Amino acid sequence: MRLKNSSWQWGIGLVAMFLSCLLVFQLKTEHKVRAKLPTRQINELAKTLQNYEIRIAKYENEIATLRSQMKDYDRDREIVRLKMAAGLAPLRGKGVRITLNDSEKKLKEYEDPVFYIVHYDQLELLVNELRAAGAEAIAVNGHRLAATSGFSCAGTTILIDTKRLAPPYIIDAIGDSNNLKNALMMKGGFVQEQLLSFSLQFNIELVDDIYIPPYKGSIAFEYAKPTELIEGEGN
Amino acid sequence: MLIPVLGVIFGVLIGYLFGFVFDYDIPYPYIKYTAIGILAALDAIMGGIRAQLSQKFVFSKFISSFFTNVALAALLAYIGDLVGVDIHMGAVVAFSIRLFQNLSLIREELFDRFWWWHIGGKEKEM
Repeated sequence: MRLKNSSWQWGIGLVAMFLSCLLVFQLKTEHKVRAKLPTRQINELAKTLQNYEIRIAKYENEIATLRSQMKDYDRDREIVRLKMAAGLAPLRGKGVRITLNDSEKKLKEYEDPVFYIVHYDQLELLVNELRAAGAEAIAVNGHRLAATSGFSCAGTTILIDTKRLAPPYIIDAIGDSNNLKNALMMKGGFVQEQLLSFSLQFNIELVDDIYIPPYKGSIAFEYAKPTELIEGEGN
Repeated sequence: MLIPVLGVIFGVLIGYLFGFVFDYDIPYPYIKYTAIGILAALDAIMGGIRAQLSQKFVFSKFISSFFTNVALAALLAYIGDLVGVDIHMGAVVAFSIRLFQNLSLIREELFDRFWWWHIGGKEKEM
């Protein structure tokens, strides 16, 4: 009976061999392919993956382009340069220190005292003279003049931006001190004609090392927006 | 009972050899074929045991039925792949149903044979 019927053992043994072989195979593969991957969503996931891969390739292209553009761009240096230009960086260098004060002259009856005090436009024009002579950074009474700074008259005092100044006005300017002084003291120049002629107290001294503080006011752009450069429009 | 156990051991060895020593992976799209193969083999084993228990086992029938089952299931899976519908689920369900059917038949047969396990005597149990 047993001998005669051993054929079932062979058959089942064969199939069992097949089964266990497949099982080991599958186990090994499944182990590699993360057993948690849901089979149902595999197509969707594959599609998503493909989309992402396309996007990644695109972004990588972009990164490569930008990187090649950035290769010789030094961000920190650029920031420092822009801050210097905008007046946001404290600066130090040789330059001139100008002291400007109201006239001490005893006025006669018929002389109007209005002419013998420093006006905001005189201060502004003096700053303009300095700029024209190549001053790189200017501060008035410790208030740095930024790119947006403006002068205005407020009663007996002068306003720069929102800061109220009172005489004496001390104007620090960094630049080639000799050049600055020569430009200011030029015969028939602004200083001689508009300041000294009203006998305002004017003093200019060359300083080897002058400190200019950064601009401390607010910088708000409410209306202006950065835009693309338009060729031929004023440049 | 020795030969099936040997078969299992041999199968594990072959699978280990192919899978780990040669480091061959089943490509992901073909995993469903393996699953069907596993189910078909389980079904064939159950069917074979049941046939043996009821003294009806014929080797050639057993082997041919196993291979035709596998072939049909694989064909279904292939068509499913072509059409994009999981038709092979049909084969999976059919195999599973047969599996449980065979299991219950085997259980009944065993209860009949070894009746002394059976407290109530020889009555049939569903």
